[in-house]
Amino acid sequence: MEHVRGPRPAAHPLGRGRSLTTPVAVGPLVRLLTERLGTTARGLWTDADTVEIQVDGADNVEVLRALRDDDELDFFFLADAAAVDYGIDAHFEVVYHLYSSKHPAWLRVRAHVERGNPRIPTITGLWEGAMFHEREMYDMMGIVFEGNRDLRRIYMSPDYRSFPQRRDFVLPDDAADSAAAGVNPLERPETWDLDRLRQAPGVTFPPSEFRDDAPAEGPHDGVQDGETATDKSRPR
Amino acid sequence: MAIVDPNTGLTRPKAPIIVPDQAPDDDLLREFGMEEHPQGGFHGLLEVIPTKADYVLDLIRANSLWPLLSGLSCCAIEMMSTATSVNDIDRFGMFPFRASPRQADVLIVAGTLTTKMAGPLVRLWEQMPEPKWCVAMGTCTTSGGRFKRSYSVVQGVDRVMPVDVYVPGCPPRPEGLIYGMMKLHELVKQRRGQWSTYVDRGPQRTRWEGDVR
Amino acid sequence: MTTTERPPIPDPIDLDRAEEARLRTAAGLSLTASQRGGEYAGFEDIGLPDRPPQTEREAEVYSLAEGEMLLNMGPQHPSTHGVMRLVVKLRGEVIVDIDPVLGYLHRGIEKLCENATYTTVMTYVDPMDYLAVMHNEHAPAMAFEKLYGIEAPKRAEYIRALVVELDRVASHGLMMGFLSLDMGGLTPILYAFINRDEVVDLLSAISGQRMLFNFFRIGGVNWDVNDEFLSRLGTWRSHVLKNIEMNEHLITDNEIFRGRTIGMGVLSGRDAIALGVSGPNLRASGVAFDVRKAHPYSIYRELEFDVITQESGDVYARYLQRIAEIKQSIHLIDQIIDRMPHGPVQAQVPGIVRPRPGRAYAAVESPRGLYSVYAISDGGPNPYRFRMRDPSFISLQALPKLMPGHLVADTMAVMASFDPVMGGVDK
Repeated sequence: MEHVRGPRPAAHPLGRGRSLTTPVAVGPLVRLLTERLGTTARGLWTDADTVEIQVDGADNVEVLRALRDDDELDFFFLADAAAVDYGIDAHFEVVYHLYSSKHPAWLRVRAHVERGNPRIPTITGLWEGAMFHEREMYDMMGIVFEGNRDLRRIYMSPDYRSFPQRRDFVLPDDAADSAAAGVNPLERPETWDLDRLRQAPGVTFPPSEFRDDAPAEGPHDGVQDGETATDKSRPR
Repeated sequence: MAIVDPNTGLTRPKAPIIVPDQAPDDDLLREFGMEEHPQGGFHGLLEVIPTKADYVLDLIRANSLWPLLSGLSCCAIEMMSTATSVNDIDRFGMFPFRASPRQADVLIVAGTLTTKMAGPLVRLWEQMPEPKWCVAMGTCTTSGGRFKRSYSVVQGVDRVMPVDVYVPGCPPRPEGLIYGMMKLHELVKQRRGQWSTYVDRGPQRTRWEGDVR
Repeated sequence: MTTTERPPIPDPIDLDRAEEARLRTAAGLSLTASQRGGEYAGFEDIGLPDRPPQTEREAEVYSLAEGEMLLNMGPQHPSTHGVMRLVVKLRGEVIVDIDPVLGYLHRGIEKLCENATYTTVMTYVDPMDYLAVMHNEHAPAMAFEKLYGIEAPKRAEYIRALVVELDRVASHGLMMGFLSLDMGGLTPILYAFINRDEVVDLLSAISGQRMLFNFFRIGGVNWDVNDEFLSRLGTWRSHVLKNIEMNEHLITDNEIFRGRTIGMGVLSGRDAIALGVSGPNLRASGVAFDVRKAHPYSIYRELEFDVITQESGDVYARYLQRIAEIKQSIHLIDQIIDRMPHGPVQAQVPGIVRPRPGRAYAAVESPRGLYSVYAISDGGPNPYRFRMRDPSFISLQALPKLMPGHLVADTMAVMASFDPVMGGVDK
């Protein structure tokens, strides 16, 4: 059984710089892209198995149509359409990932979208399956796809008012800090019946290892007498 | 109505049991001295000494709890796993997972409850006729679970409906769910669940934020 | 004897409505659409929005011609696909149009992952496609390894492929059960769950959990195979093919099953590609696109397998495709067990991984199609953007294309043949 080898040395702990995946031949693809797309495609970047180009938002239909209809490029499958928010001072990006049977690498097309007026043409004319992608990007980021026949919210309710995946949408840090704190009596310490809780603890703690009569839990730092031990690890 | 009249040797009990699907007669109830609830409606505990017939009735209810098919998420798969051949919940009488809430006894909330689904789920709960019980299966329904900080997950089903049994786990093993159902059997037999102290507040049409109506 | 005039007995529904109006005005809410009257008056009974349609497509679906009606197959329905709502426009029994309403299980996983460390992300992506959990973890593990610049050891890659193929067997077996359950056959689901329970017990021997495994790590997997896993695997392998064939014979040649599935919901290859359908659904329409062959990842370059396709794109073909893929997966598992090398199962990575700033895209073949992750790192301990592309989400777009013209009862058959899992659809 020659395929079962002896024990291998462990992978390098800081394995940076090693090959990520088996590198694929991207040369022909890069050449074709520069020929066909010219200046529309900026920022060509390659990885072991991905080629990336950046385009303006307004050019996305033209570029994707060229990529799909060209015989030698033949990117017939839209694998993913994602939206990225680079911050409240920066821009949005709509990122398309395409697959072609003629080229072994994934192609990533990053389309730049202004944050102040986030509009970009729809690609549902090219791939009908982009409809749900665009609805999701509208729902989560607020990017409006011009020409999309069905741009309504898909995950949140129709009368929801925010765009959750934007950078300025902050999650409630803890249920205790949210508006709905205290709805559940278990979240209100004044309803706890400490006598009943002390009678039969759900969890047993081992006694202290130093003294037999020591309390089960260790010292509570910073807890005054009579207070409940709350989490002071960060300001609330 | 109790299946057996209360012991006639003792004084007549102050509060008859209100059956919510009959239109209550407010004056008659006030005459009886029923306690009025501030939000409308009356309530009274079952002030009947349970007799053997009541016990048998509770036993019947416990041994044929029909769950509602309300699987939301991953816990639903474990609930289905509990319902199928390897861990068979049919031996406890829970084979028919009713699709219609009108025919179901227990609502096993299996899976994450989101704010969009909260409206339909509460409507399902309201449509279930009494006696009814609710089992919160999984940590997502107990407390929000692994989605504790999410913007669209209800942090525990007990924020929207009264829960009788909490079954922790993510997802709970089928044996865990069966243990939870055994606890529910105890509650049913002892009339200890939320149903026995249910407050009838009249028809509720709470409007949930995001309820698509 | 004179007959006394009795006052008419009020209809309880009117009493209810009066009570509701009273409560609403007392609470300061506006009247509902049915109380206001107007053209949107009747829709709230089936939960439709009581406001004008926002988009062209919505107006198209919700405007009724003569003889049409809207049927709401609500978020809770006996089909076992989870919480999805289908608003179906019918003329009699024939479907005219269909509008899937999603989002009843949206948990905000992408947003939660932006605040989690790279290792915690594994616990968040587990409950997405909860029937094929290992695939949910495989794609993020690959993407994060690309970001961090590390390679998993060979043994880890083999274990990954092994558990992934085991999960595929379980998931495809379940699809067979759900397909017959949705058409009323209550027996095959029991057999499917027996198969699933065997596989899941196997995987719990290796990862400790029955369903949401949290097994993959950046740089490998968490635990090595142990004796219990190997012995259970041997027992399972010795009888799985017979079981699958027995389950298959229950329904493949069944006349009712064939009558209900052959020629139903035909999806052509061209339409499937335009709609973004992938995986067994696409291969059943004749297009030989399998991510394991198209863009090989992990050890799939070293394993021998073909890409199976079917010609007709109907429900029966999608079912046959999955049965064939179960057998192919068992063949792959045999090869993996033969060739598994010795070695470590996880590369050394720090507890909190801080990759260099960059972007990575990783795609795997899940039982529902192409499952991919696009991750952006900014050098910190949390991913800057974590995007998952779920195949069931995209496959649902095929419903409004396939269903018009069929009967209502076929909705569930067609939906079950696409095998969507709402956890992935709604993230």
